[in-house]
Amino acid sequence: MVTYKSLSLTLGVHVNTAKQMLYHYLEHKRKESSPQLHATYLVTGKFVDNGQTCHRVSIVREDQLEDFKSKMSLIVSVHVYSVQKALLKDSGPLYSVDYDAVKDHLQNCSKYSAIQCPGAVPVSSLERQQALNAPNPPQSEPGNSGTNRETNTTSKAHPRPQKGIMGMFSKKSAVKSQNTSEEVKPEQKDEPAVVDSAKNKPAAKANPMMNFFGSQTAKKSVKAVKEEADQTSERKSPQPCEKSDGAAVQHQKDPRSKTKRAEDEDSEEDKMDKKKRRRIKKPEPDSSDEEVVPDSPPPQEALTRERSPKKETETVQPSNSHSGVKVRKRRRVLKSRTYLDADGCMVTEKGFESESYSESEEDFRAPKAAQREPFKAKANPGSKEDDKKSQKKAPASSNKGGKQASIMGFFQKK
Amino acid sequence: MIIQLGSGDLSYDPGFQADEAEASFFVNKNLTGFTILCKQLLQVIFCDACGKTMFSDVSAQKNGPSLLCSPASEEQGPTFERISLPYELYSDRYRVGQRSFSRQYAHIYAARLMQMRPLLAERAQQKWGSNVLIKKLCDLEPGEQCCIVGTLFKRMELQPSILKEISEEHNLLPQPARAKYISEADELILEDELQRIKLEGKFDKDKCVTGSVVAIYGAEKNDGKFTVEDFCMADLPLQTPRPALSSDRFVLLASGLGLGGHNADSMLGLQLLVDMVTGQLGDTGEQSGAAAISRVLLAGNLLSQNTQDKDASTKAKYLTKKTQAGSVEAIRVLDELLLQLVASVPVDVMPGQYDPTNYTLPQQPLHPCMFPLSSAYNTLQLVSNPFEASIDGVRFLGTSGQNVCDIQRYSSMDSHLEILEETLQLRHLAPTAPDTLGCYPFYQKDPFILEECPHVYFSGNAPTFESKLIKGPDGQEVLLVTIPEFSSTQTACLVNLRTLQCEPICFTAFSADKDEENEMNISH
Repeated sequence: MVTYKSLSLTLGVHVNTAKQMLYHYLEHKRKESSPQLHATYLVTGKFVDNGQTCHRVSIVREDQLEDFKSKMSLIVSVHVYSVQKALLKDSGPLYSVDYDAVKDHLQNCSKYSAIQCPGAVPVSSLERQQALNAPNPPQSEPGNSGTNRETNTTSKAHPRPQKGIMGMFSKKSAVKSQNTSEEVKPEQKDEPAVVDSAKNKPAAKANPMMNFFGSQTAKKSVKAVKEEADQTSERKSPQPCEKSDGAAVQHQKDPRSKTKRAEDEDSEEDKMDKKKRRRIKKPEPDSSDEEVVPDSPPPQEALTRERSPKKETETVQPSNSHSGVKVRKRRRVLKSRTYLDADGCMVTEKGFESESYSESEEDFRAPKAAQREPFKAKANPGSKEDDKKSQKKAPASSNKGGKQASIMGFFQKK
Repeated sequence: MIIQLGSGDLSYDPGFQADEAEASFFVNKNLTGFTILCKQLLQVIFCDACGKTMFSDVSAQKNGPSLLCSPASEEQGPTFERISLPYELYSDRYRVGQRSFSRQYAHIYAARLMQMRPLLAERAQQKWGSNVLIKKLCDLEPGEQCCIVGTLFKRMELQPSILKEISEEHNLLPQPARAKYISEADELILEDELQRIKLEGKFDKDKCVTGSVVAIYGAEKNDGKFTVEDFCMADLPLQTPRPALSSDRFVLLASGLGLGGHNADSMLGLQLLVDMVTGQLGDTGEQSGAAAISRVLLAGNLLSQNTQDKDASTKAKYLTKKTQAGSVEAIRVLDELLLQLVASVPVDVMPGQYDPTNYTLPQQPLHPCMFPLSSAYNTLQLVSNPFEASIDGVRFLGTSGQNVCDIQRYSSMDSHLEILEETLQLRHLAPTAPDTLGCYPFYQKDPFILEECPHVYFSGNAPTFESKLIKGPDGQEVLLVTIPEFSSTQTACLVNLRTLQCEPICFTAFSADKDEENEMNISH
């Protein structure tokens, strides 16, 4: 079935030419007496109905054409509307053909019409953004600040691997207050494992993120995430990758309006579920204690830092306890962080932050850290069990290696 | 349009009757093949205002060769330029900026009375003599013939009252919705700033509605009621005369598109409407006629009532979180439709009762974020309901029909046109607001009072098309139009700005039964 409109849009001709083409085709085929073709016509004109005149525009079948024309008092135009093989009982399909044709050529639907309007000029999206930016500054800020942060963190990524440990200490002061600093350890051996996870993370993250970004910003954020993933994974430094990932995505999340929080919580819950599954599975195949201890770093509020930093801590802590050498290390501690978000509201977040500590204090801190774990509201039963286990373990270990003076020391000196 | 006449002398003197002459002129080579009847030619050149220039006539005049022929090889097809007219929006008074609902609604009535009292006093003096006593209710003396000015209140037994519904002593079940809430036992009371008094006498109480400000002439009886002998309303305000236009320009009015509804038939009609306005449908004559349509006004109810989720307000949020509202898809379809229109003609979009904007009057314009495709064009104007603008010097004022429907429910008037006229004479767009019609609690002034008389006064979503030209006491001329609901009638209206006439356009298609097709011939 072909209507004049779909023909004109497909061939890119003026609508009147399309109508004439249809007529010509019809005549031609009829002369050749090839398979039956049916046509519908459009009739417009003046119609008097119960004393009131109205302008009537109608689609009529060919067999009703003459009848219709006789009823009208003044005929303004008649032309072929559509040509089809089957006899149409209902005019519904005509609409669907036109609808499809228009949908395919939505942007230039009026290009081939007989009327051109000089005033109808589409304002470019850039100008529209500028117009919208004036009353809606909070909306534009995340976009801007997000890009700023990305460039900042990527520039910082370069000097960091070079400076090594010292880079970490200076980084903390350099980082903006809004940046969530993650635990960064220059473990080279963790790189291969973490690179994989980092690569997986942006890909996996793109999908949940797509859920709560709008169409335009989704492309931006996904692009940003993917670009960084590409860049940083090439450079083989996983830390900047997840850090800037986390920062950018985290930041674009924070100033989101409260309506998005619901979706945030949804995706957080999804992640929690995934993690829950992961954590429950872990003790089952490996029932060793070592696996329990790495699970103690508790679930965190910020989504972004979870996976690879956790893996890092898991792998790092066992190595720490084994080494026995007093080394000044960085460690995750639960701290409250207060900052002003884009809407000008103060937000207080409890998050894990890196803090340097020395080995000797570790034993005292370990039980406290373990106790703090249940605070995390989204803790799941699996983790609670682990926490309890680790709680039990920690005091036990501290008692063994503690510096508590034994009462026998009093007698031994004699 | 300049037509160079060929040889031939056309004599025109005042007594020349265009109907009687019929001649064919061969116009010069620029317009070959044109043969025009003399009557129509004269109409075009000399702008014969007596003749009815309907859209059909205009299109028929400009007709070119028929399209029932083979395509000519070279030419692309004529393109006409859309006529562009000066346009000014006067709807600022209907924009509510900061909203505060902590105020009482009584302030609107106070503002209304304060604003209309001097106007009514003037009318009263014109009607009953300049020495008529205009008194306040507190100064009334029994037996004295005088005139009082105040707000009418109609106490109706059947009027749904939330207090009665929740009152335990009455044990009433919620009242079912009725078509009309008037009854024989209704009482009319006149209120002014301080007091109120019951009215009785010869007047049609069924025609009156609560909230109208009137002046009443009569006397107070001993039992405390006021006997009415005569009453008058504020009548039409002054009107700036509209400019005399030289050629025919049209404005298309449509309402009740009803997208998202279950009526699929109306979609084809809607597509035909869009095609006609954008100049794709019809012969060259029709297309050039369509180029004279300078503007399209969509007066409300772009979405159908079906898109209103009945469950949305009652169901718990956690149950409805994942389901998409019915209006989302409908708005997307509307956006695509608007895109086709705005690429070719300036469009004003007014919200209606079922559209996603606030419920109370004045309804604020729809937000452009819902129309990502079409809001790229600056020809899309999202306007408030009520709407007031001046198109080429012709002042348009109208609503999407909620005010008219409300008055219809609380009075004996049934015809939308009659109600429109009544509101014009009351000089108030929506007298029943805020009593039975939702309204924002204004307190400084009442924006629904007509300050300047419009040239075209319309209301949308009427069951049928009706139009009437009325004359005011001070020489005003107003065209009243009730725009029919497109989803059920497939009819829109064309207003000719030059002659202030309105013509309906109906779009029909064929369907399975021949009988059904005849039914689709709308009888007005």
